[in-house]
Amino acid sequence: MLTNYFPILLFILVGLALGTVAIGVGKVLAPNKPDAQKLSPYECGFEPFEDSRMKFDVRYYLVAILFIIFDLEIAFLFPWAIVLDEIGVFGFWAMMVFLGILVIGFIYEWKKGALEWE
Amino acid sequence: MTLQSLQTALALPEIFVAAMASAILILGLFINKDRNDIVCFWLSVFTLIATCVLIISDFATQTAFAFNGLFVDDPMGDLLKVAICLLSATIFIYSRQYNQDRNIFSNEYYVLGLFAVCGMMVMASANHLLTLYLGLELMSLCLYSMIAFFRDDKLAVEAAMKYFVLGALASSILLYGMSLLYGLTGALELAVISSVVSNLGKDNLALALAVVFIVVALAFKIGAVPFHMWIPDVYHGAPTSTTAFISAAPKIAAFALIMRLLVGGLEDLHVQWQQMLIILALLSVAVGNIIAIAQDNLKRMLAYSTISHMGFFLFGILSGSAAGYSASLFYILIYATMSCAAFGLILYLSTKDFESDQLNDLKGLSKRSPWTALLFLILMFSMAGVPPTAGFFAKLSVIQALIDANLAWVAVVAVVLAVIGAYYYLRIIKLIYFDAPQTIPEADAPIAVQSDSKIVLAINVIIIIAILPWIGTLITLCNRVIKQFVY
Amino acid sequence: MTFLQFAFYVFGAALVFAAGMVVTIRNPVKSALFLVLAFFSAACVWITLQAEFLAIVLVLVYVGAVMVLFLFVVMMLDIDLAKLRAGFTRYLPIGGLVAVLLVAEIALVMYGSFDTGEYRAPVAYGVEYSNTEALGAQIYTQYVYAFEIAALILLVAIIAAIALTMRRRPNNKYNNPSAQVRVKRADRLRIVKMDSVLPTAPISVTEPTTESIPEQD
Repeated sequence: MLTNYFPILLFILVGLALGTVAIGVGKVLAPNKPDAQKLSPYECGFEPFEDSRMKFDVRYYLVAILFIIFDLEIAFLFPWAIVLDEIGVFGFWAMMVFLGILVIGFIYEWKKGALEWE
Repeated sequence: MTLQSLQTALALPEIFVAAMASAILILGLFINKDRNDIVCFWLSVFTLIATCVLIISDFATQTAFAFNGLFVDDPMGDLLKVAICLLSATIFIYSRQYNQDRNIFSNEYYVLGLFAVCGMMVMASANHLLTLYLGLELMSLCLYSMIAFFRDDKLAVEAAMKYFVLGALASSILLYGMSLLYGLTGALELAVISSVVSNLGKDNLALALAVVFIVVALAFKIGAVPFHMWIPDVYHGAPTSTTAFISAAPKIAAFALIMRLLVGGLEDLHVQWQQMLIILALLSVAVGNIIAIAQDNLKRMLAYSTISHMGFFLFGILSGSAAGYSASLFYILIYATMSCAAFGLILYLSTKDFESDQLNDLKGLSKRSPWTALLFLILMFSMAGVPPTAGFFAKLSVIQALIDANLAWVAVVAVVLAVIGAYYYLRIIKLIYFDAPQTIPEADAPIAVQSDSKIVLAINVIIIIAILPWIGTLITLCNRVIKQFVY
Repeated sequence: MTFLQFAFYVFGAALVFAAGMVVTIRNPVKSALFLVLAFFSAACVWITLQAEFLAIVLVLVYVGAVMVLFLFVVMMLDIDLAKLRAGFTRYLPIGGLVAVLLVAEIALVMYGSFDTGEYRAPVAYGVEYSNTEALGAQIYTQYVYAFEIAALILLVAIIAAIALTMRRRPNNKYNNPSAQVRVKRADRLRIVKMDSVLPTAPISVTEPTTESIPEQD
């Protein structure tokens, strides 16, 4: 089982190395003369006015949650696609019913205007 | 694999409810807004009645399995499903005026209600840990959102939040218990679990741990003390129409959950869970009845009354015999009917800008509306367990089961606490009949609800007394379905 | 100790550490990032259990999507951290005690019972085993009932999310770019024919009348 993961290990190592090298080279080669003024946070030259995190409109949340629901739905499609020839017509229709139920949700979403930004 | 080999037809009621709920959801989008309420309402009530007819016309006489053992069709499941559908339909009828007056998204209210009913039905005929859990989640998810329907009301949102967080915690505890059970038995099907558990033996420590987790989660879900904190807030904060919905059918579903899990799967560990349930039940009856006395909000008082009734209902389960389970079933059926009527009365008295959920709002009701006062009188007597009512027989059968199980001391404590509890029910009768009416104008407004709600409410309350000649039949029915389940 | 056991302990330790950081760290965004680490470690543990598909879905759905949502929520809530901390230190002793007791109890019970060989050990599959295929073969046939209930749960989630967060905002004013682009001269400009007459009185200063674009709803 573990030998199968060797390419992934290589991938992780290469990725790590690339990241480290890019940042490391920048650190070593770039000129770096910090002082108190340079290091202090500012907004357009002024002291920061408020916390940089601010409230989002709840509509972003709605979009995100609808995305998650359909993301989950997609997750169910992967195993189905792989074994479709084994599970036959029954499996096919099982998925169609599943998708049908979610399409009802989609119609609801559409008609309610949840996808519109106004 | 085909639909025939899966025995799909056995799950027809569930499929029908789900399909109709989806249809109503879509239909509600396409019809004119002012007719929307009425159409969705009648279609939902029709769906529930039709489901009842479907179940009764094919009432199971023996146990049959479907969907590769995920689904079981037995008399107990069918009886519970009929009760769930009837109670939910009744609540829908009570809630219509209230929802209309307050601009609650009525389409969503009925659709989510129907999906919750579907979840309860799934639980009622689950034969597999997976279906039990999914049914529970389907129901809970609908209830969480129904509580938050008043989005700008602080109390409602707080209630929904509390219920959601605690409910999610309880679900995760339940899942932990289930996963332990799966790890120990290697099975998810309740019948298989039951046989493996009997091989593993009564004093298996790891199994006991799984039972602890499961019992804690169940106690959370039914709101037994010390896991009851969410009940008063939810009952109080939620829109009354939602509180009414939560207070009736989900209790039946909770019975199904407990029976399927503890009795269907883990009956051999009866000794283990009996001790836990005794503590939970005694605490529930004590705390529920005593704290209820201090309430001045009717919904909150009924919440504590629910807690104490849940304790009583656990007494039947913990006695661990077929007679005990059947007493519990009888108790929960009667209790759900009473609770349904109690919230029906609150909904009945509330007007467009008057919630009528304070105890003081009931003062002098007998002069304002003698008929409603009489209904309250019957209901409160029954909730307190005063003899000629169904509530008395429900308590009696549970106590009987306790004594038969050699738990006489528990029975004595239960009776004493029930007498204490009678105080706050009788106080309501005193408020209604002997106190001067309030002088605020809203409390004097004439009661204006549709006649269908009026008639159903009257039937609902009168049934509590009028059932007396047939009470034997109902008890026999409970005994019969439980016998079929246990053996 | 085999390599797999070693990997399990490493990932398990990372998981516990990350979970601890999620609840103790001050900055809520960092806490969300530690949650990502926790999900990742859990996914790695699942891979050592040969549940590859579930591990990938965990990363895909939780790390990819749920965490985005969490960050939204963290931003939206505008949390008062000082207030949150106050409760934390107050309840830490009792919470910690409960947690330690719980872990100790579970450990005691598990050590005593799971190594007796009484229970069925999980099967170790070979290299050619595909978790995705094994799941697919079961979900859509054996567990079709549960599968469709899952669809209903997702549907309820859609309905609930929309019912609880959708708000019509009739007071909102906003531009409709396509209407702005398509506008014709005739929509904006009205030429009024007037006789040219000499003013008899001095012209009074009035506010200029402007016709705004009709608001679109």
